[in-house]
Amino acid sequence: MLDRALSFSDPRIIERLQREFVPVAIDQAYQRRQKDAEGRFYQKIANQGPRQVGNGGPTTQGHYLAAPDGTFLTYGNHRDPEHLLERLDEALTAYQPTATAAIEPGKLDPKWNPAPPEGGLVLRVHSRILDGYAEPTTTRAAVFSEAIGRDNAWVRAEEHASLLAGTFPDSLARRLARFHFVDNTRGEPSMWDKSEVKDLSIELNTGKVTGTFSLETSDQRRRYVGDLIGYIESDQDRITRFELAVKGQFRGEGQYTRGAPEGDFPLALFIELATGEDPADAIPPQGSRGWIENYW
Amino acid sequence: MSTELTLVENMTISPLHLFTSLLGLTTLTAADFDWIREAVSPDPEAAWKEIPWETSLLAGQARAAREQKPIFIWAMDGHPLGCT
Repeated sequence: MLDRALSFSDPRIIERLQREFVPVAIDQAYQRRQKDAEGRFYQKIANQGPRQVGNGGPTTQGHYLAAPDGTFLTYGNHRDPEHLLERLDEALTAYQPTATAAIEPGKLDPKWNPAPPEGGLVLRVHSRILDGYAEPTTTRAAVFSEAIGRDNAWVRAEEHASLLAGTFPDSLARRLARFHFVDNTRGEPSMWDKSEVKDLSIELNTGKVTGTFSLETSDQRRRYVGDLIGYIESDQDRITRFELAVKGQFRGEGQYTRGAPEGDFPLALFIELATGEDPADAIPPQGSRGWIENYW
Repeated sequence: MSTELTLVENMTISPLHLFTSLLGLTTLTAADFDWIREAVSPDPEAAWKEIPWETSLLAGQARAAREQKPIFIWAMDGHPLGCT
């Protein structure tokens, strides 16, 4: 969120990444664990930097610059644009262009390469806190107060068929509630355990979706209670419109989403079909990471 | 689908919401749908979207090899274009 708003909105950085580099955005929780060609390539690069894979640290996150053959050029982990521009200069100084072949993907590590279900749907899920923050006094606070979170939800083929037949499937309702009715506007969100779904009702009636939900942790420190309304349209064999507007009162925060407004605050979500035109449409759901079976 | 509603002490939901929740009804209207869609939709012209991000590292490596350019890897916990 902060990187997108600060580092990668700087016109100097945008221009240089467009012209001088090949920019890649990844969730390194995948690549540092993958036992396949992509994982080995990432690990080769990361292990030449300060955060080696398997060195006891919980993450290898940061900005890596490398030659196409995996030769490490430099590393940074600072969102100040001036700092990042220095890393770009360092990388270009160190880079020696040589003929390099494309790496064949080979056999993929299935644990870390989940694919959208064949015959299913990909949905974009956006989130925003509508009110409740104090007047921001820092850039960080100002970014978070306006932030819009993004994740994708996957719909299975049989759930797609159920929607076409006019029924909102229970399995999809539960998945949306547990993994997507979350506050991800400040980072990786805490999701909901099955036992934390206290009430959930989503109905589809002649194209109109209505529902209510109540989610709460056992210690009552985090909860989300609200309503939804939406519309589903289809042609003969495919959903052509899936739009849900969700709004409720949220309370609490997660380990990686500190800084929520105090007390209850309004959180809204909007869910719609992904078109495939946005690179982010290809990203697996956050809730499926490393354990797709749990997501289903 | 409707599962058992569990009311929790200190839950600050309005009497109207409590009533409609018990019936599995929404209080949101078509007008709410419109403004929520507007409020929660991201700016399609956000500056960072002008950067031609690859989401596959090997696709990026292949492009870098072809164009003889260095690779810039933005590696985060949670996907940088999504939940982080």
